[in-house]
Amino acid sequence: MQIPQPDIVALSSVALLVSTFGVVVRRSFAGWLSAYRYQSIVLAGSTGLIAYATGVWEIYAAAVLTLLVKAIVIPRLLVRVTEGVNDEFKIEANPYVSIRLSVLISALLVALSYALVQEILPSAGLDGLAAAAYLPVSLSLFFIGLFVMVSRRMALNQVVGLLIIENGLFLFTTALTNGVSLIIEVGILADILVGVMISSLLLLRMNQTFDTLDIGRLEKLKDD
Amino acid sequence: MDFSYAYPDLFLAVVALFVTGALLPLLLNTRRGAIAAFVPAAIASALTAALSTLILFSGSTIRLAPPLTASIPSIGIALYIDGVSAFFMLIIGLVATAVSIYSLGYSGGSEEKRGVRSVGFLINLFVLSMILVVATNNVFSFLLFWELMSLTSFLLVIHEDEKPGTLKSGITYLIMTHIGTAFITAAFLILYFSTGSLSFDAFRSSAGQLAPFTKDAVFILALLGFGTKAGLVPMHIWLPKAHPSAPSNVSALMSGVMLKVAIYGLVRVTFDFVVPSSPGDAWLGLLMVAAGSSSALVGVLYAAVEHDIKRALAYHSVENIGIIVLGLGLSVVFLSYGLATLAALALLASMYHSLNHAVFKGLLFMGAGSVVLKTGTADMNLMGGLAKKMPWTAMFFLIGSIAIAGLPPLNGFVSEWLTMQALLSSYQVPNQVLQVSIGFASVAFALTLGLALATFVKLFGISFLARPRSAGAERASEVPRTMVAGMAVAGILCVVLGVLPFVATSAVASAFHLDLGLITPYSPLGPLAVGYTASGLSSISSLSMPTVLILTGSVGAAVFGFVVLAGSGRKPVVRPYTTWEGGFGPLGERTEYTATSLSQPIRTVFKTFYRPHTSIKREYFSDSNHLVRKSVSVVSETREVFEDYLYSPVVGGTLFLLDKVRRIQTGKINSYLLYMMIATVSLLLLAVFQF
Amino acid sequence: MIAYDITLGADAVKITVIGILQAAGIFALAPLLTGVMRKVKAKRQKRVGASVIQPYYDLLKLLKKDEVVSEHASWVFQWTPWIVAASTMSAALFIPIFVPFSPVSSAGDILVVLGLFALARFFVMLAGIDTASAFGGIGVSREMMMSSLAEPGLFLTVFVISLTFGGTNLTSLVGAAAQSGVVIAPSVLFGFIAFFIITLAETGRLPFDNPATHLELTMVHEAMVLEYSGRGLALIQWSQSIKQLLLLGLMVDLFLPIGMPASADASLALLGFGAAAVVVKVVLLAVVISYLETRVAKWRLFRLPDLFTMAIASAMVGMIVFYL
Repeated sequence: MQIPQPDIVALSSVALLVSTFGVVVRRSFAGWLSAYRYQSIVLAGSTGLIAYATGVWEIYAAAVLTLLVKAIVIPRLLVRVTEGVNDEFKIEANPYVSIRLSVLISALLVALSYALVQEILPSAGLDGLAAAAYLPVSLSLFFIGLFVMVSRRMALNQVVGLLIIENGLFLFTTALTNGVSLIIEVGILADILVGVMISSLLLLRMNQTFDTLDIGRLEKLKDD
Repeated sequence: MDFSYAYPDLFLAVVALFVTGALLPLLLNTRRGAIAAFVPAAIASALTAALSTLILFSGSTIRLAPPLTASIPSIGIALYIDGVSAFFMLIIGLVATAVSIYSLGYSGGSEEKRGVRSVGFLINLFVLSMILVVATNNVFSFLLFWELMSLTSFLLVIHEDEKPGTLKSGITYLIMTHIGTAFITAAFLILYFSTGSLSFDAFRSSAGQLAPFTKDAVFILALLGFGTKAGLVPMHIWLPKAHPSAPSNVSALMSGVMLKVAIYGLVRVTFDFVVPSSPGDAWLGLLMVAAGSSSALVGVLYAAVEHDIKRALAYHSVENIGIIVLGLGLSVVFLSYGLATLAALALLASMYHSLNHAVFKGLLFMGAGSVVLKTGTADMNLMGGLAKKMPWTAMFFLIGSIAIAGLPPLNGFVSEWLTMQALLSSYQVPNQVLQVSIGFASVAFALTLGLALATFVKLFGISFLARPRSAGAERASEVPRTMVAGMAVAGILCVVLGVLPFVATSAVASAFHLDLGLITPYSPLGPLAVGYTASGLSSISSLSMPTVLILTGSVGAAVFGFVVLAGSGRKPVVRPYTTWEGGFGPLGERTEYTATSLSQPIRTVFKTFYRPHTSIKREYFSDSNHLVRKSVSVVSETREVFEDYLYSPVVGGTLFLLDKVRRIQTGKINSYLLYMMIATVSLLLLAVFQF
Repeated sequence: MIAYDITLGADAVKITVIGILQAAGIFALAPLLTGVMRKVKAKRQKRVGASVIQPYYDLLKLLKKDEVVSEHASWVFQWTPWIVAASTMSAALFIPIFVPFSPVSSAGDILVVLGLFALARFFVMLAGIDTASAFGGIGVSREMMMSSLAEPGLFLTVFVISLTFGGTNLTSLVGAAAQSGVVIAPSVLFGFIAFFIITLAETGRLPFDNPATHLELTMVHEAMVLEYSGRGLALIQWSQSIKQLLLLGLMVDLFLPIGMPASADASLALLGFGAAAVVVKVVLLAVVISYLETRVAKWRLFRLPDLFTMAIASAMVGMIVFYL
């Protein structure tokens, strides 16, 4: 197994993190989607790198699929479905945690994930695996995506946060296990696709019924 | 010829038939639904009864492991049918046969056939799950089938949801049965920790080596858990709510059979897993005796003042379960002191009573179902005169009443005779505290018997005799033949089990491998004898039911002959006339006694227990003039002591606490996600840094 | 505890014949006992009273009369007198009164006898309700309360007797009593008190129930059988007197067995002497009871549970004293 230049791995990790921060920083739905698109492309590239390193052809197929579905199909789908939604709900004007604070917390989360991986790596015997370099990045993607879901008010933002989580987990599993079988990859992707479709439909209905996509207003439904 | 190789196949045939009975009605339309559901059920139940009889008398045991699950020994379905399982399967099979035949004609509380298909589906599953519960051999499958039994019965209880209060009774039942299941699971877990395995075989083989504290803990948890399901006081509060709410064929099954499955669990744990062998275990038996006698007394006291026919029968089930547990407790006490023959006697009494109660309670509930169906009410104060309008139902209900009141020559008398003999033999226990306590228990037992007789006079008398007290009772007519046939099966069983006690005693003896010795011979017409052989005595008390019956019959015939002779051979004329009402002329049916009035002296005598509460409400036409009253109503009610003083405070306190906990439910999705995030992060930190 | 060997050495024919004669004697003499008790009461009340054989005339008269049956009653009402008669009289077969054995003791013991009495009571109560009259209802409701309270007293008394004499087989109980003579032990005395009170209740004597009245304030048993006439009434009255004789005879045989031969092997002369002794003792006891009846009035209904509780407590004390 050839170890690719460490710099390419580092470069792609940084690119992933930058795109994630892009989602955190941007305020508009279009911005989130473009950041997500960017992230997916880099993700596909990283997967290709892993495939090149391990020589497993299935991972190539997974990379291509990732590119197709996550970088092209899903963003298009989201744009199409949310065409009818009022612009007011595509802008995160009043998040629970302010943007500046979110950036700081995201940085903390990145540090946390690096610390965790440091602890796990020696004991798990994964030293030396090139793809191990991706582990901390994927974990931070997971945490940041989760944080985005927690701290934002607009439902569309939550959907994007979920997609980021999925990206992180995908990278985590690919790096850790040198790619899972293609069937599972396809399954996961199909799952994501359907999940996005369903959630966007739900958001549409939510908008139609309540005339808002502000999740903070949903608490009025609580049975008290 | 030895047919034991065929037994596993027969058992699988039974299972297949029940599954067919469950699925068929869902596929067919309503008119055929009843037949599709209950004919396979009847055949399967009869087959179960036959199979269990064969197993009992051949003394073989059967092991079955369905192929898919055999590879995982602890988590998997392993079946083991020995004598004890076979005995309880016999009970299930007999009663289920009668009830299935009855259900062919029964259409619920009203005349239209609603939901027969779902009832058929659920009843088939219910009976099947009960059979499987008594046949399992490991904890996993036991709990699986136990839950299936509880859930199907819950769904059956809430089936007639147009009646008010049905849902609430169902939820109470669901909660109580799960509390019971929790205790049972705890008991099994303790056994698992002591033996390291989930299989009943392991529990059986390590029975003698349990530490005393473990033994006690397992026993008490099992008593609480199975006692909740069986309806022991104070965990009985669900019984008088659930049994009346369910359709009557379901009540018959629940009261007759499901309570016995709980008894099966208790018997298994007590005699197979926690074998009482030293005098230190005697207090466990005393606990059962106390629980049993208080259940019996409480049950019958509440039954005595009840005027809803099905709720009265439900309280009687509590009473009879008390008697069964009393017998079991006596057996445990005797066994701890090594009095094996007496322990066998007490166990025989208890198991005989289980069989009897299943049969006659099933019969009574079926009769009550017929009455409720035809009169449109379950309130006895609105019934009456049904003996002339529903003669067959009346006759079978009378047989059931005589049986449950413990009168000769029917089966109730035999099992109560055995229980009394066991109580009378308690002087042989060499511990004075135990002797006196059992003496007190006998007082409670005797009072229970007296009150039970009185209550059934009321139940049968007010419902069936005298004049109809409402339009519904006037309109009543006899029920379809299949319903009568179902009751007939149970009625005939009552008579057979009473007149020929050897049938049941030999079944119990071979089921439990009891060495009855001097106690009972197996010959058909031989007397049921109890030998007192301690301390130099050799007197024998015996009972020969067929002889008693023959003697009574011949005396009756002789009396008839004498009377004819003394009447100078002239056939006297019997003239019908109105009842004597003090010369006022014919009075309406409102002068008749009602159920409530019949039980009034008992209510007064025991008023410290009932705490009756009378409230008088007066309505006036106008508030300024209190002299002209619009209506006066008097409501007199007795309070359910356990609900008011035990359960309501506990439930109230729990709700108060939970209200405080509700604060964490904010309604915001973000906070829930935050909880998830905190949980994930902290778990990861914990796992990695091992704080 | 007193042991008794129940092997009946005498031949079966003698036992069976004597057993049948004993039963016939019970059936025949029961109305006489009732007559004696009424005569004693009458004399105490400064009346001449009917003759002691008046009950026989009454029964024969009733047997010849027509019956009037309520139009509301069902077949339960018509069958009850036969069931009552059959069960009470077959109970008589199981109880050894005049001789210390009964041929069918191994088929039915004292619990069977109590069960047969309960069967009779069950059907009488049903018949009381069946007539749809308020009198019947009042009798049944009172009887329900009283019989359920009498039951523990009865069972505890049986317990004490069984502890003292061993077992519940009536032949062995009576034989053991005959063998040991009058037992003056605290447990037996307490048992006797309990049995006496319960007997008064079961036979419907004052202060529990007034057998001579037909006022609804004071009726219990009479209320339940108010609607009966003709043959049914004859059977019920006869059964009531038989039950009375059985209970008094049992009390005499267990607690005052003077003059009773101890085993069935005794010669006919001894058996005859024992039977005569029993007759004398039963008549004396009946006189005592009637005398007591004239001294008390019927108690208010809700004071009666106190009396029952006294019986239960007495028997319980007897049992505890026996154990300690």
